[in-house]
Amino acid sequence: MSPVQTGAPPAEEAPATRSLRWRSVAAPILQNKSALVALAMLAFFVFLAVFGDLLIAGDPKAKVGDVFEPPSREFWLGTDGGGASMVDLLIAGARVSLLIGFCAAAISAVIGGTVGIVSGFFGGKTDTALMRLTDYFLVIPDVPLMIVIAALFGRSTWNIIVIIGIIYWTFTARLIRAQTKSVRERVYVQRARALGAGNTRLIVRHVLPQVTPLLVANTVLLIAYAIFAETFITFLGLGDPSAISWGRLIENAFTDDAIINEAWWAVIPPGLCVMFVVLACTIIGQTMEDALNPRLRTGHLSVRRFRVLRPKPEVES
Amino acid sequence: MSGALLEVEDLHVWFDLPNGKQLHAVQGVSFSIDAGTRLGMVGESGCGKTTTILALMGLLPQIATLSGRVLLDGTNILEQGEETIAPHRWKDIAMVFQGAMNAFDPVRRIGDQIAEPMELHGYASGREAQHRVRELLETVGISPTRAGSYPHELSGGMRQRAAIAMSLACSPRVLLADEPTTALDVMVQAQVLELLTYLSDELGLALVFVTHDLPIVAQTCTRAAVMYAGRIVEQGPTEALYHETRHPYTRMLWAATPDLEARDDVLSIPGVPPRLDAELRGCPFAPRCYLAASRCADDRPELHSVGAEHESACHFASSVEVVA
Amino acid sequence: MRGSDYVVKRVLFAIGTVFVAITLNFVLFRSLSGDAVSALRCRGCSQDFKEYQRRTLGLDKSKWQQYKIYLTGLAHGDMGRSLRTEEPVRSVLWEPIKNTVPMVALGTFFSIVFGVATGVVAAWRRGTAADKAALWGGLGFYSMPPQWLGLVIVLFVAGWLGLPTSGVKDPTLGILSDPGFIEVFVDRLEHMILPALTLGLVIFGEYTLIVRSAMLETLGEDYILTSRAKGLSNWSTVWKHGFRNAMLPVITLVALSLGFIIGGAITVEYVFSYPGIGLLIVEAIDQRDYPVLQAAFLLLTFSVILFNLLADLLYFKMDPRVTE
Repeated sequence: MSPVQTGAPPAEEAPATRSLRWRSVAAPILQNKSALVALAMLAFFVFLAVFGDLLIAGDPKAKVGDVFEPPSREFWLGTDGGGASMVDLLIAGARVSLLIGFCAAAISAVIGGTVGIVSGFFGGKTDTALMRLTDYFLVIPDVPLMIVIAALFGRSTWNIIVIIGIIYWTFTARLIRAQTKSVRERVYVQRARALGAGNTRLIVRHVLPQVTPLLVANTVLLIAYAIFAETFITFLGLGDPSAISWGRLIENAFTDDAIINEAWWAVIPPGLCVMFVVLACTIIGQTMEDALNPRLRTGHLSVRRFRVLRPKPEVES
Repeated sequence: MSGALLEVEDLHVWFDLPNGKQLHAVQGVSFSIDAGTRLGMVGESGCGKTTTILALMGLLPQIATLSGRVLLDGTNILEQGEETIAPHRWKDIAMVFQGAMNAFDPVRRIGDQIAEPMELHGYASGREAQHRVRELLETVGISPTRAGSYPHELSGGMRQRAAIAMSLACSPRVLLADEPTTALDVMVQAQVLELLTYLSDELGLALVFVTHDLPIVAQTCTRAAVMYAGRIVEQGPTEALYHETRHPYTRMLWAATPDLEARDDVLSIPGVPPRLDAELRGCPFAPRCYLAASRCADDRPELHSVGAEHESACHFASSVEVVA
Repeated sequence: MRGSDYVVKRVLFAIGTVFVAITLNFVLFRSLSGDAVSALRCRGCSQDFKEYQRRTLGLDKSKWQQYKIYLTGLAHGDMGRSLRTEEPVRSVLWEPIKNTVPMVALGTFFSIVFGVATGVVAAWRRGTAADKAALWGGLGFYSMPPQWLGLVIVLFVAGWLGLPTSGVKDPTLGILSDPGFIEVFVDRLEHMILPALTLGLVIFGEYTLIVRSAMLETLGEDYILTSRAKGLSNWSTVWKHGFRNAMLPVITLVALSLGFIIGGAITVEYVFSYPGIGLLIVEAIDQRDYPVLQAAFLLLTFSVILFNLLADLLYFKMDPRVTE
């Protein structure tokens, strides 16, 4: 292949690795039992979030029963402090919580990914400056910062999404920077550069495909963080007053004295929903990351000893 | 050959694989070694040489199953597995590991790590141990003041010397060296080899030297055993292995090494060693062998004598030198 | 790089972070639409009072001048006055700090103990039921919102354990007689346990994961094999060579997750009406008492920065390679 004729970087290597890497992300999830369960769990909640409207008749906040009515055939999970059906509230909460989770994670991924790629790809002073800044923000505790910003600017769902999004990018930036740096050093990227490929082209054609799987894995983890963060912000009374999220349901249970009323059905379910989604995202994200960054070697210590067969070799089965 | 210091008889090692299969990594290896002699074990990676010596140390993971006998002074130390091996570990049989860089704990001082087994086995303690550490360091050619250094402060060659010093801590009689020179540059490699030879001569150590590099064995060892697919395929005096090669694999190993008056290029051995997770039919080397005949596909050759203390596992042992 | 260079570098970094936090704090609070005073919500906050507040806070000056005034004030430990009580912020913070520090310390202690214990066991017994239980248990708790776990504990555990669920001390204590030191201590501890336990439980899962993977990585190192070969038992190998090396990454991550602990402490204190910094923040948010909110945020940030610095220095002390 003559470089003069085509002017294109050798295309056969990068795309091959690209599909290979995607497969290497998908395969571990499909092979891993707990990751599959996690995926099903997440899918269930996403389904609720998308089609929840069809399952709820009318306004989920509407007073349909007595205050803190215990679970019954009519209200599977009882009613909350306002007499609204807990099941309806939980379904409605899925939409807001997941919306916040996905959107905030996306914002973080975009900011962190951009900072990481720019930093790792260009190196030098840009890298030093950006990473210094990242490290500063990595140390500043994110939850208090988030609370302060929310206290000053919050109160709407979109504000909260942006606030969470602009805070959780630091770790992503570090991770993506490291990956970008290693991609940049690879032979085919060097060759493409030597053949005259511009920076934009190199980033889009070579760095992005290599970095994206890791970024996606990290974003899944960020979803967990974001959903979590929403419950914090809302619990402190800084959430959107009109939106029903799982965080809001936990807050309601607290402020409506569900504890004194011993209305466990108003306390437990929203937290469990958060837990399941966060757990699912953590497991999926972690499985993907582990597949992309295999670090674990076999240990040299074992609980049992090796066995010794006596007297003659006879393969045990 | 009874009365040898260390005798290995019909050693087998199987590993249980996660997929439920069993990998027969070592398939009936036998050899013996006397005090003051040096045995080189040669083969490509995955041929079972490292597994063999880890088995002698009782360091195999729990997925391993062993059989056979390891006689130290005529006593089978493999009898009860871990229980019977543990008392001999490092006291009678010590080891120099492959990774020169990582054989030491990075956060502890070299001297303390050398002294550790002495104190553990009641060999020496306190000041006495410290004194001995300095002596050992001197023996291997490191300044005794280095006892206070951390591993990362030593060069690769020095670290490997320190690892050798550590292996000598409890005055073992058998020293197993697993690729002790792999990560080192040629000059340092030569020095370490010289040191090992010297120690074996001076201290009467029986040295088992594992490497993939046949010429190194030729330089240092009195005897050599060539392993392929978990078995010894040729063993004998190093001289004999060189001048009267009786296995095609050995011959190809020789050919695969560059020598000084190198003709044009180094031959590499085509193909890869067979997988050992299923029982093999015939000679495992046949697919890569220039002598292979139809017989080799079904009939597995056993080790048989082809000269004075010289054995080969090839149906056409006598043709090896003729056809090339 | 020499050791002292490393220390200087880390200290400079901490100072840099402090400066960034201060500036961030200033920018955030001054970029409000309107200003801090107009948002003030209190009875008797007349227009004149607000004007007066504005002048005393220097809000009529340029941003740059305000920044300078703010920095000078901070340098003298002056963080302004609470908009609500007119007290200096410094004294408003003092009582809550005294309550929060031991509670968070106890919570962190719980989390480290749970995390390290489960992580080590999980790594050592990799793939067994113990490993799975530790992982799932840790991850499960880690996925719970702290405020929710607090509520669940109040609902189900507190009564069963007979521990108080709100406040920092028993209001009846000391009414009838002067309580002794031990009595006061026990009372404080009892009030502290549930919030601390909540914090400890929600955090430890992260440490389980980190400790487990760090341990697994370390246990795969060559020096662990060396240690086994030297004759150390499994347990002393873990303790002498595994643990310290595995703890190195953990130190940094524990320090980094302190931000999360402190975040959790805010909501947990709210749930347990524990009068610490967290509860102060909740009240300050409620009443729009921005100087207090600002100061509390700075205080939390500074303490996290301080502990990160301490972690860096501890790392330096534990890993001789850092100076390389």
